Parts: sequence; structure tokens; C-alpha cells
Amino acid sequence: MSWLTSRILSVVWKPTVNVVRTRYHADKKRLVRRYGYQEKIWRGGLLPRSEGKALPIPEYRPDNPWSVRKALFGQNDYIDILGPGNLHPVKTLYNIPSWIRGVSGHEYHILLRKKKMWAKTGTPRLRPTKWKEIQKRLSFLYRKLNRKTKTGPSPI
Amino acid sequence: MASILINAIKRLHVSPQIRLCSLNSAAVTTTTANKTINILKKEWEFPPLYTKPREVWIENLDSVEEKKLGLIELHPMVYAAPPRIDIIHSNVIWQRKYRWVSWAHTKTRAEVRGGGKKPWPQKGLGRARHGSIRSPLFRGGGVAHGPRSGKSHFFMLPFHLRLHGLTTTLSAKLAQDDLHIVKDLELPTDESQYLVDLIENRNWGPSVLIIDDTDYAPRNITAATDNLLHVNIMPVYGLNVYSMLKHDTLVLTQAAAEKIEEKLLYHLHSDNRERMKKFKIDQV
Repeated sequence: MSWLTSRILSVVWKPTVNVVRTRYHADKKRLVRRYGYQEKIWRGGLLPRSEGKALPIPEYRPDNPWSVRKALFGQNDYIDILGPGNLHPVKTLYNIPSWIRGVSGHEYHILLRKKKMWAKTGTPRLRPTKWKEIQKRLSFLYRKLNRKTKTGPSPI
Repeated sequence: MASILINAIKRLHVSPQIRLCSLNSAAVTTTTANKTINILKKEWEFPPLYTKPREVWIENLDSVEEKKLGLIELHPMVYAAPPRIDIIHSNVIWQRKYRWVSWAHTKTRAEVRGGGKKPWPQKGLGRARHGSIRSPLFRGGGVAHGPRSGKSHFFMLPFHLRLHGLTTTLSAKLAQDDLHIVKDLELPTDESQYLVDLIENRNWGPSVLIIDDTDYAPRNITAATDNLLHVNIMPVYGLNVYSMLKHDTLVLTQAAAEKIEEKLLYHLHSDNRERMKKFKIDQV
């Protein structure tokens, strides 16, 4: 009889079966290191800077990439090719002082040229300290280059 | 069957591109199904030997919608040169460097005020020996090996590199569909919005460089571009590699395109030994 009821029960009601996967590593307990130790260092991120004035972070002001100076950068650089032919692009560098326009060289060479061109102007009389410093620097560089350093290999 | 094919071809508006051997500059009129196109054939002083001329549409500026007014032939030595990125790069570097002067300055121990007296005796105090309070070791002293004002980065790029810089950049712009040729710069209004709409409508880049062959552009276009910082007008002799790269689209007037072509062809075919000589500052 009991066999029959169990048979009928098995037909009428079937238990829901959950497949339980083995979750050994997920369920195992973590080893707590240094149990009972109170961490004294603040681990919550940056400390709020409450007292005193805030550090000066400059306001972000993006510069205009299309300002007239930047938009027209390089204009007339090929004027000797595209222009009438009697003008060199170096002659169009109006915003650079004439004594350094188109000059390449070390500090000594540029300073020599500057001194040579400024000698005819009012600079020696109007800016005597500046003029003296130029001459001082020139003599220092002259001694350094000619007496204390070796010259490079001869170009020829 | 054949008539169907002919009709299909007619519907495609394909015009036969026939290269005519004309001796002089001549406008050849090709008739298509419903309109005529002027093809400007040119006879150059230095005709292209191995490559074909490039044909470019001439566009209009007097309406927002693009109208094709004709075709112009451009010399392949100028507008179809090999795209040498290295030459373009060296040109840009040259343009940035040859005008660059660094004005950073520091004072040496000789230039800082004071510092003549020995700060304390050489011996007997248990302190380090010093001869001047303006020595680089001191706070407020001079700077050793600091920047000295007026440092120039000037150099002159060889003439032919600059020449080919122009041709290769123009060619790259044309190959990338960023070079447009317009008939003239006459606008119907002087409002900026008209130009903004026109640029938007024709898919020109946000920034446009307009080259004219005269020093004075028409009033309407100067007034319209006055507020648009990214739309700039230059004369032919102001054209340069840096600006062509900075602006997305290059718009040449027909006259400007021909003048650039003429100038560059002249230099490509002439004796440039004077220009190839070493740059000497007081002789330019």
C-alpha cells in the first residue's frame, strides 16, 4: 500500500530540485590578518583642507588658438618665392629687434653684434650700467672661450 | 538593347573627357545632356612631361549652395607633387624656429647688485669659507649657467626644401579634397552668418584660409570674416606651409591659383644658384 501511495505521490508531486554547485573557494572564510588592530592612518582619501586659505589654483583660462597672432602665424615666410622677388623673409620679422633678426650664434657672437650695433645709439650714455655689464660679460666670455676651453675640430 | 544602354549612360550625365591638343590657353566647351561646362585648358611655359594636369572645379561664392562654374587645369608639378611629409615637417619646424628668440634671462654673480665684501673671515669662525654673498650657493645670489637673454634659434632652410614644401603641401591639400578654387571673392552680403552657412553647406572645415592675388580683398568678404577668427584672408605672397596646415580648408581664387602656379613653376625651372648659397645676414 505504502508502495502505491508513494508511487501516486511521485506522479502527482515532484519536488523541485536545486542543483547546488560546490562553492568552496567563494564560501571559505578569509583569514583576518592582525585581528583586533585598529588602523590609525586615515584611509578615506584626501584630507579636507579646512583651516586657512585654500591653496591658490589658478583659474583655467584656455588661450584663444585663433587670436590674430596665432591665426596669421607664418604669413610672408615664403615671400622670396611667392612675392616680387626683392624681399627676403628675414626682412619681414618686424617684431624682433634688428640686432638679433636673422642672427644665429652663441651668446658671445650675438653679444658682440649687439654691442657693435648699440655703440652708435644712445645706449652707452643712457644706460651706462647695462652697457658696462655687456662689456664685462664679453670680456668674461672672451677669456673663457679663448683661454679656458678647447676649440672644436677644425672645419677644414 | 543598345538604345537602353545609351539612355542609361545619358542619365548618368557622364561627359566624355577628351584632352585636346591646343596650342594656346583655350576654353573648351563640353556639352552634356542639359548643361555646358567650360574646361580651361592651359598652355604652360613648362608643360608637364610625364604626368597629366589635374582638373579642379571652379566654384562660386555668391550663393550658399555650391555651383560648379567650370573646370581649371592645374600643373601637376605644383599641385600633384609627391606628398613628402618629411619636407612638410621640416618646413613647419623652420617656420617656428627662424623667428624664435628666447628672452629668458638670469643675472650672473657679477651682475647681481652688491657682494663685494667678504662676508666673514676665511678662518677662525668654524663656518664655511665664502668670498661673496652673491655666489650661486647663496640665496639671492647669481645663477650659474642660467639662460642669457637673446638666444636665437635662427636658421635658414635650404631654398629647394622651402620650394618643395609649398608644392607638396598644396598637393596634399588637393589630394585630400581640402583645396577649393573659386572664381572670385564677391559675396552678396557682408554678414558673417552667410559665410558660416556657406562653409557648413559645402563641408569645408571649420577653419578656412582664403588666398587672393590682390592685397585688398572685396569689402563684403573682409567685413564677413572680420568676426570669424578661424576664417582668414591672405594675399598670394602670404601663403605658407604653417597656415595651410593650421587651416582645414584652403580656398584659392582662380587668379591666385594661377599666380602661385606661375611663381612656383618659374623657380622650379630656373637657375637658383644665388638663392642656394649660404645665408649671410648682412647680404639679404
